[in-house]
Amino acid sequence: MQSMSVVPASRPVPDRASGVQSDPAGLAVCARGLAKSYRNPWTLKVSRGLAPLDLEIERGQVLGLLGPNGAGKTTTLKLLTGLLKPTAGQAWLMGQPIESPESRRSLGFLPEQPYFYEYLSGLEYLEMAAGLCGIPGRDAGERARIWMHRVGLGERPALRLRKYSKGMLQRLGLAAALLHDPELIILDEPMSGLDPIGRRDVRDLILEQRDRGATVLFSSHILPDVEMLCDRVAIVLEGRLERVANVRDLLQEGRHSVEVHCSGVTMIEIPPAWGGQVTRRAVGDESTFVVEQEHLLNDVLAWLLRAGARVRSVAPQRSTLEELFLSAADARGERRSA
Amino acid sequence: MNALWIARNTFREATRDRVMAGVLVAGLVLLAATQIMSPLALGEGVRLTVDLGLSGISLLGVLVVVMVGTSLVSKEIERRTIFNLLSRPIARPEYLLGKWIGLTGALWVVAAALGFALWLLLALRGQGAHGPSICEATYLAGLELSVISACAVLFSSLSTPILSALYTLGLIAVGQWSYDLRQFALHVPQPLGTLLSVTANVVPNFPLFNMRTLAAAGETTTLPHLAMATAYAVLYGGCVLSLAAAAFESRDFK
Amino acid sequence: MSVATGVMAVRRRMAIAWAIGLLFGAGAASLAAHAAHVLPPPRPLEELSYYPSGAHLEPASFGHAESAADLAWLRAVQYYGEHRATDSRFLRMAHVFDILTTLSPRFIDSYVFGAFALAQEGNDFPAAERLLQKGVEANPLNSELAFEMGFLYYVRPGGRDLPRAAEYFERAARLPNPPPTAARFAAFAHQQSGDLAVAYAMWADVRERSPNRYMRQIAEDEMSKIREALATGHIGVAVHKLSTPIVLLK
Repeated sequence: MQSMSVVPASRPVPDRASGVQSDPAGLAVCARGLAKSYRNPWTLKVSRGLAPLDLEIERGQVLGLLGPNGAGKTTTLKLLTGLLKPTAGQAWLMGQPIESPESRRSLGFLPEQPYFYEYLSGLEYLEMAAGLCGIPGRDAGERARIWMHRVGLGERPALRLRKYSKGMLQRLGLAAALLHDPELIILDEPMSGLDPIGRRDVRDLILEQRDRGATVLFSSHILPDVEMLCDRVAIVLEGRLERVANVRDLLQEGRHSVEVHCSGVTMIEIPPAWGGQVTRRAVGDESTFVVEQEHLLNDVLAWLLRAGARVRSVAPQRSTLEELFLSAADARGERRSA
Repeated sequence: MNALWIARNTFREATRDRVMAGVLVAGLVLLAATQIMSPLALGEGVRLTVDLGLSGISLLGVLVVVMVGTSLVSKEIERRTIFNLLSRPIARPEYLLGKWIGLTGALWVVAAALGFALWLLLALRGQGAHGPSICEATYLAGLELSVISACAVLFSSLSTPILSALYTLGLIAVGQWSYDLRQFALHVPQPLGTLLSVTANVVPNFPLFNMRTLAAAGETTTLPHLAMATAYAVLYGGCVLSLAAAAFESRDFK
Repeated sequence: MSVATGVMAVRRRMAIAWAIGLLFGAGAASLAAHAAHVLPPPRPLEELSYYPSGAHLEPASFGHAESAADLAWLRAVQYYGEHRATDSRFLRMAHVFDILTTLSPRFIDSYVFGAFALAQEGNDFPAAERLLQKGVEANPLNSELAFEMGFLYYVRPGGRDLPRAAEYFERAARLPNPPPTAARFAAFAHQQSGDLAVAYAMWADVRERSPNRYMRQIAEDEMSKIREALATGHIGVAVHKLSTPIVLLK
């Protein structure tokens, strides 16, 4: 089972103590050994969609599901939302088993590239969405109207969906996912195909939901968004959950170097005591000293000032999620070829 | 109830798809055509009007089922609109039930509208006394269409629109001959006789919903007939929808 | 790790749905079987009965007149069987066979079956005669129809029409691929209707052409009787009193 992160032996960063399994009732999402495989009806050959997966998301968290296309992100989300039937394992949403429709009562789901009924108007669609989540008739209409305005579609509520643009459909889909104040929100590639304004709106909406106390699980391959929005990230590669960790911890464990840009020190030599911890790039009179270990920064600055350098800037360099993602992918590749 | 939301949605689909309007217009044109053909029927113009009118209700209803009903579920799967529904707290059998209710509602509207138009036409010809028989015949036609639409929902949840249409039409054709199959079964050698008998029981018994001949003569049918036809429609429709639910339960939507 | 209860839950629901479906299905099948016994059988032929003729049905069958005729044939045979077993009243049979044969003028069996059913059980010789006549006109080179026409006259209830029977038997004998018995029947019918000269010529033909030695012997015997009758003037030697056919309705 892929419940623990795959990390270099020198720096274990477990998410929680191994072997401890929380009560599903207290979690927003709990999956244990959830797996999906497909059997070809003609050849009877079995192909794997998702390897057995363990995942726990606490209430109020925002978790990003990262992975390249075809990694299994959508499969995971569809298993949780009941669109795919698991071939093994169990899962719970807000304490309810996924086999029960009740597990989806507090769920707001936005599929990738949502499709809608062309012959319905936006308002009618939202009314139906509200009604299906148990909001009674008149309230459903009222709620639908409110959300039409909130997502900027209130001007023409009777416009048929066949006349909506892609951006309008995405906003409508978000409204449908959120209008019943769900406690758990699952979004599959919510930013895909949107312009920067659209992406900003979606980001703001996710943050707003988080502030409201909802749990958000969304899949993406846009790493800066994940870095900005998520508390935790799960990396999925080739149908397998490779790693789950706090974003803050992941970034801290990564590279933390500092670049010092200065001039007037062309002849200076780096003291051997610092070994490979301090390196230098020089272009003409300008030099950039890369300090790999943060704790050496003060010593390096003092040394440069004594040498008469003119320090122009001191810039901390954090590793990005992209680097961590790629290192996980490389590690997977190494394991496969080993 | 969630099924009713789905039903409302499906009813809207049928009515806004322009199929219903087209079918209603075709029905009215057919009724008008019966008036042109009536003089050729040598005094049997009323019979001609009633029988063609009632046949029109059945045939046009089947047209609605084939054009709308057989892609009812498969189109949602293909266009992925089903994701928006099944990710909500609705059980899959509820979804199918809602689809069936919506489609059947549309079919009853077609049947009732054309039945009323037929009665009005007869009343204008001074034959308003045909009212009760037209009413009963239209009711039975509605039951027949309800059974056909259940079959369409079953096939639509298993297969593509074209295959669903073919299966539905095939079942309608064989079902019209269910009474004859029973008779044939009595007169053929044994293994074939049993096969025919089983087939006669499995296919829908459409002759049970046919009182066009009586209605053409202005006669009403018996209460036991109406009761049996109603009970049969409930049982057969329930059977088909249950099987559809069983098949749909394990379906994956990629 | 626990057993895959998620999968079990789906299977349980499927099993319940199957069970409900089979229960309802069994109920429906029982009710249908019960209805078939209790309710009056459907009368599909009556749907056709108000059409003034098959000519109006043909355009309605959209080029599938033959298939429509086949379906109507199946129903007609059933109609015959049902009424023969119950009330022996075949009120619509003439009309239905008229429609059938208009839809499919070359459907030979429908003329023959319909005509004899009308003449015998239906007790409607004129309708039978019209039907077969229609067939003969539509298929002038069909020797079987001509032969059956002759036979219809030969077994006419209430009194054989021997001259007409002889005429059609002879006609059948002269058409391509005649039934083997046509010439013999023609000779016999001519003989029994008193037309000895023609009968003699036909028997001579049979004696010449028939591959069957017994038939040739019969022809020789009949020719001998005719010669004796003509020679002695006692027509009764060659012409016998035949029984009067009746309507056979068991």
